[in-house]
Amino acid sequence: MKDGKLVTLAIESSCDETSAAIVLEGRQVLSNIIASQIKVHQVFGGVVPEIASRHHLDNVNRVVDEAMKEAGLQMGDVDMIGVTYGPGLVGALLIGLATAKAYALAAGKPLIGVHHIQGHICANYIAHPDLEPPFMALVVSGGHTNIVEVTDYNQCRVLGQTRDDAAGEAYDKVARVLGLGYPGGPKIDKIAKEGNPAAVEFKRVFLEKDSLDFSFSGIKTGVLNYVNSRKQAGCEINTADVAASFQQAVLDVIAAKTIGAALKMKKDKIVMAGGVASNSRLRAMMEEGCKKEGLALYCPPPVLCTDNAAMIGCAAYYKYQAGERDELTLDAVPHLPL
Amino acid sequence: MYILALETTGAHASVAIINEEGKILEKRSEGVLNHLQYLMPMVKDLLKENQLQLSDMTAIAASKGPGSFTGIRIGVSSARALAQILKVETIGVPTLKAFAYNMPDYDGLICPVFDARRNQVYAGAYRWEDGQIHELVKGAPYLIDEFLKKVRAVEDALQQTQDLQEDIPGSIGKAAGMRLFFGDGTKAYKDWFRGEELAPEEVRLQSAASVAKLARDMAEAGAAQSYEDLKPDYMRKAEAERKLEQHE
Repeated sequence: MKDGKLVTLAIESSCDETSAAIVLEGRQVLSNIIASQIKVHQVFGGVVPEIASRHHLDNVNRVVDEAMKEAGLQMGDVDMIGVTYGPGLVGALLIGLATAKAYALAAGKPLIGVHHIQGHICANYIAHPDLEPPFMALVVSGGHTNIVEVTDYNQCRVLGQTRDDAAGEAYDKVARVLGLGYPGGPKIDKIAKEGNPAAVEFKRVFLEKDSLDFSFSGIKTGVLNYVNSRKQAGCEINTADVAASFQQAVLDVIAAKTIGAALKMKKDKIVMAGGVASNSRLRAMMEEGCKKEGLALYCPPPVLCTDNAAMIGCAAYYKYQAGERDELTLDAVPHLPL
Repeated sequence: MYILALETTGAHASVAIINEEGKILEKRSEGVLNHLQYLMPMVKDLLKENQLQLSDMTAIAASKGPGSFTGIRIGVSSARALAQILKVETIGVPTLKAFAYNMPDYDGLICPVFDARRNQVYAGAYRWEDGQIHELVKGAPYLIDEFLKKVRAVEDALQQTQDLQEDIPGSIGKAAGMRLFFGDGTKAYKDWFRGEELAPEEVRLQSAASVAKLARDMAEAGAAQSYEDLKPDYMRKAEAERKLEQHE
């Protein structure tokens, strides 16, 4: 406890970010240390699970130590340990979990396993102190694309998800095709600003009528085919135009489905979460769309969109308040359903 | 003095506690590759059954590899985290060398062999001499035939020394030509081990008790280190790194 408030130590290691945070009463972040491995994986053009796992092991204790120091707290002050247990890369997840479990045993603290997506949604509670459920959530990242109906702090239902690639994954793949490098999201976002989003017509994949699911594998092939046919014809490729057009095709579908879901389920709020929620074009489109429909839009700052432990600490706190505790047998679940 | 030792490099996880007199308490998992789930519960149960507390531990040891990369990481990261909170030192125990303690009374060569796939092994050869473990074939990655050749060469050398010693009255020559193979490599490459003597099944695989015993020797020799310095010994780069180097 600190000043009569519950203290959560949270750990996140589901992909290529090793993060630890100290969160008070679920929403007040005292520290949120993130050790990114982007540079490590850049040379491979994407996250290499074995290498990510090795780096998580090297980093995790130091990251926790820094989070404690920055918060000015000791393990004795901690009331609960929250940790991501899925979904994610199993080898990466287990470093955070093994560490959290050892802490829980050595310090005699309750252990609370958190769903990574639940964490992303909770980033909004940190960024917006007044935000309360219910609302519609859009979670878009390198590994996930979900439309989630959030009815309470610990209650939600997935209404739509990707059937193949995640949105961020499509960005990474298209960035590779365009020779923009890894990670693709921020690079496409940047170069697209200089391009014409109507220059190339890529197919918008809406799937069946009323479906809130996504499919992004086709557009990646579409971009590849376009680039190859232009090359064969000896034509120059305007990378900015292709990037802008690809992005517009992806975001048109995401924005339309999310706003449609909110209206259909009679929600007056939409929250965005996940790495791709930092995308400036997506934010602008969602703002415009929500304004038109009279919906309130919430989005966390970029540091809370990326994988981070503060959001896991927030989610752990609400589970704790609901009386949830996990055993030391808690396992990593790479394909954990929401 | 108590050292808690974690062994997670093979198929079965185990945990052990050793005290200053060398008395061992051990717990083994019957399950296969469920280290993450059961490692901490096993530690908790072992402590409880023996009326001990984690705060009684003076150091935490982990079998640091080689072995399953994932397994190594579960043990090493658990040990690091325990030591970080308990504010005690850690001991990184070489997994292959610890096999010497699976057969502390054996005179011949102790040869642990782990399956590293595609005819490769992590292996070494060790021998007890005057209460000390001698590493006669360095614990390292080898091709299976390359390792067996090295073992035979070491034995030939031992044989020659013994022949010389037998000429000296009163000298007791150690039993050369004696060797025992351990580890999951004996199963994965069973054709290579036809006609070879395998260690008795109950001591053939990794054991936290042996890790604890070697950890105790290492602690006495001043090998304890901060949790930050406890690192896995994978003995191999990640596949992606090796491929990248090949292309460069």
